[in-house]
Formats: sequence, C-alpha cells, structure tokens
Amino acid sequence: MCRIAPPFIAAVWAASLLTAAAADQPAPPDWTGHYKIANGKDLAGFKPVSPNLNQVVPAHLQPWALTKMEATDGVADDPGAICQPIGIFRYPLLAGEFEWLPGKDKITMIYWEINTAGVRRIYLNRKEHPKTLLPTFNGDSIGHWEGDTLVVDTIGFNDKSWLHTDREPHTEETHLMERIRQVGNGAFIEVQGVVEDRQALTSAYAYSRYYRKQDAEMQENVCNDDIRMWKYWKNEHLRPQIVRSHEVK
Amino acid sequence: MDLLFALFCAALCALPAFAQSEHAAASTPDLTGVYQAIPNDTTLTGVRKNQGSPSEIPLLPGAAQQMKDPKEDPLRMCAPVGPFRMMARDQVKFELVPAAGMIVMLFEDLSHGVMRTIHMNRGHLDKMEPLWFGDSVGKWEGDTLVVDTTGFNEKTWLNERGAQHSDALHLVERIRPVLSGRYLEYKVTADDSKVLTKPYTYTRYYEKVKTEITDDVCEDEE
Repeated sequence: MCRIAPPFIAAVWAASLLTAAAADQPAPPDWTGHYKIANGKDLAGFKPVSPNLNQVVPAHLQPWALTKMEATDGVADDPGAICQPIGIFRYPLLAGEFEWLPGKDKITMIYWEINTAGVRRIYLNRKEHPKTLLPTFNGDSIGHWEGDTLVVDTIGFNDKSWLHTDREPHTEETHLMERIRQVGNGAFIEVQGVVEDRQALTSAYAYSRYYRKQDAEMQENVCNDDIRMWKYWKNEHLRPQIVRSHEVK
Repeated sequence: MDLLFALFCAALCALPAFAQSEHAAASTPDLTGVYQAIPNDTTLTGVRKNQGSPSEIPLLPGAAQQMKDPKEDPLRMCAPVGPFRMMARDQVKFELVPAAGMIVMLFEDLSHGVMRTIHMNRGHLDKMEPLWFGDSVGKWEGDTLVVDTTGFNEKTWLNERGAQHSDALHLVERIRPVLSGRYLEYKVTADDSKVLTKPYTYTRYYEKVKTEITDDVCEDEE
C-alpha cells in the first residue's frame, strides 16, 4: 500500500518540473578527443589571427619588458630546455597537441608536451576565481558556455614563463580570455585568445588557432626521455646556467 | 481527480524499482575524482590497510646482484618512476578522469607520475615501442576496474633500492571503490619472469579528497 503525505507529493512534483526544465536545456557539446594544431593545407581554408606571434608580442611589450627580453639567454634561461614548465603561451600556440576530456564540473586539457605545458583544468563549477590565488604556470581557468562556445577566463599566472617562444616576459597581472568552439563540422577546435597585462604590455593582443581532431590516440611523451640528458645538463660547466634558469625572474 | 491522484501515487511508488533497474544497468562505478594515499599506519573500517611495498619485491639472485646505485635513481632526476613505484609513494595524489573509451590518471607530482591512459575499448597493441608507462587496457569485473599493463621500457626501477625490471614486466591492477566510495582500494600484482622469483602484490588505499590538483614542479635533488 502506497501512502504519501501531500507535502511530499508537492515536493516531488516540483522536483520533477525542475528536472524537466533541466532536461530541456541543451547538453554542453562533447568534444572528447585528441587534437593537433593545424598549419598550411591542414587548415582547410581557416585563417588564424596573428599567425606569427614572435612579431606580434614584442610589438606590444612595454620598454622594461623589451629590455628584459633582450637580457634573457634564449638557451640557458629556457626552462623548457631542461624539461621544466614553460606555461601555456608557447607550446600550445606553436605546436599544440592535446587530449580534450569533458566533465561535469571541469574540462581537462592534457598537452602532449605534458612535462612543460602540463595539464589545464577549466572549471565550469566556479563563477569566480578564488580570492587568494597562488600564482602558477597555467593559472586558474574558469569557463562557461555561451551557446556552442566555451568562454574561458584565466588569471593567476606566475611570471616565470614567456608569452611566446622568444623570451617575451609577462607579469602576474596577465589575463587570458578565450572563446573556444568547434568549427568545420566538428573537424576542428577553434581557440580565439586575447592576452592583456597592464604591467608588461602596452595594449592587449589577439590571436586564433585551429586544432584538428585526430583519429590516432595521443602517444606517450616524456620530456627527459634520455636520463643522460640530465647528466649532461648537470655538467659543471652548465651548472651556473641551470641555476640562473631556476631563479625567479 | 481521484483517478489522477491514484495514477500519480502508483507512478511514484514505482520510482524505487525504476531507480534500482537503472542502477543495475549502470553498475560500473564512477571513479571520477581526486584521491590521496592514506598513511601506512592507518587502518580503515574492515581492517583495510596498506600492505606490502615495492621494496619487498622478491628478486632472482642475478637481478639482486644487478641493483643500481640509488644515487642514480630516476626519482632524483625528475624522471618518471613508473606506475608500480608511483602508486606506492607516500601521500601520492592523483586524479581519475573517465572519458569515452578511456580512463585517464593524472598525478599531482607530474614529473614522477606524469599520466596514464587506460584504454577501455581495445586490447593490447600488436606492435608498439616500449613505453615508460606501458600499454594499459582496462575492463570492469563488477565494481572492480581491472587494468592490464605490458610494454614497459627498462628505464624505471621497481623500488628505491635500485631493483631493475625487464621488458617482460606485467602489471595487473584491481581498483574498486570501498566504504561508500570514500576510498579506493588498489591491489597491484607485478610479474616479471626474468627478474622476480614469483609475482608480487601490494595493496594501497586512497581517500577521495575534495581538493583540486595543483601544479607540482619537480626540482632535481642533485
């Protein structure tokens, strides 16, 4: 025998209406897969904005940042040369390859160059950045859907990475805004980015990149695959340079 | 109106049965989350505690004589240590991210653990280059994720004492949620006929934690 109290009925009825309303909302797009940056013919007609960031970024640097850039040793001061993190402004925009893993609360982007570019987690369950943020190489990313576009806001970067591949410095003020969507009938992920940094840049700059979905699995990649490389870098002659590259700039 | 009310009651009473059948249909647990190893001196409800250690692995006499100098430990050079050692590390913290056709394991200690992809939609590859983390394929046995891994390179060690393994290393991991999903039980059996006297198993428990994974950059110790 089923006995149900009226208030419980009302609550269940209300809950069922809410569930129905939620079901009416379109599910966020599922872009699960392995993507690799497209260049040349592989772009299939898409035209990236600012394809040569090596020219665009220095043109936006403040004088002190240009001076610092010139004073930086592109080899000895490059943490990437010894498999240390280099942030998300270099590899992903030049040769990026990643696994896109969607989730209820966050989207996980695992870069193939995992030792240097790391893993990005775009949190969908937070509307604001934490009030106190420990600066990191990849910053704190929060995202929300605007139709079929994922809008991502990232702050909380440390100042140890470069804005591109040629020593371009930035500060902890760096703010990255991205609009990410699928184009080409799902064959590509398009990333439109705007970078601003009131302390290091004279004005914001914009870029876009296209990443083509791959059929093959993303392969394992370990940066210091040859441990002897570490011994080489630890050679006494190189030690001062390694120490310099570890210093906070 | 009375008829409508009776129909509504009947539908509501049927809900538990419907939910039960849904549960049966989707009986594999959702392992999504961040987990951290419990200390070795902790005992959970049901006398569940960490047992065994990579340092106790039984080596053949020839392998015991070929231990490497601990000073050359890949751990000290910010290199990957391989799943067998990594999962036994004190306070190891990792995230499980299920996706279509795979379950990805991401370690907070990125340099030493890096990541693993457990392929749920295929068997082992016929041809492959040996890998730091091997080729992992998974399947569900009830609520237990069974992961079979082969195809390792010979660059990782079995323990911090310098024990080596061969390309014949074969790991079988059994992973399941316990205590209402608040913990993961992890049992791994390592077999390597060229190096071990017999297969060796250790057990670990990991607590599901609410903290997020953060950047953890290895600074080499030399």
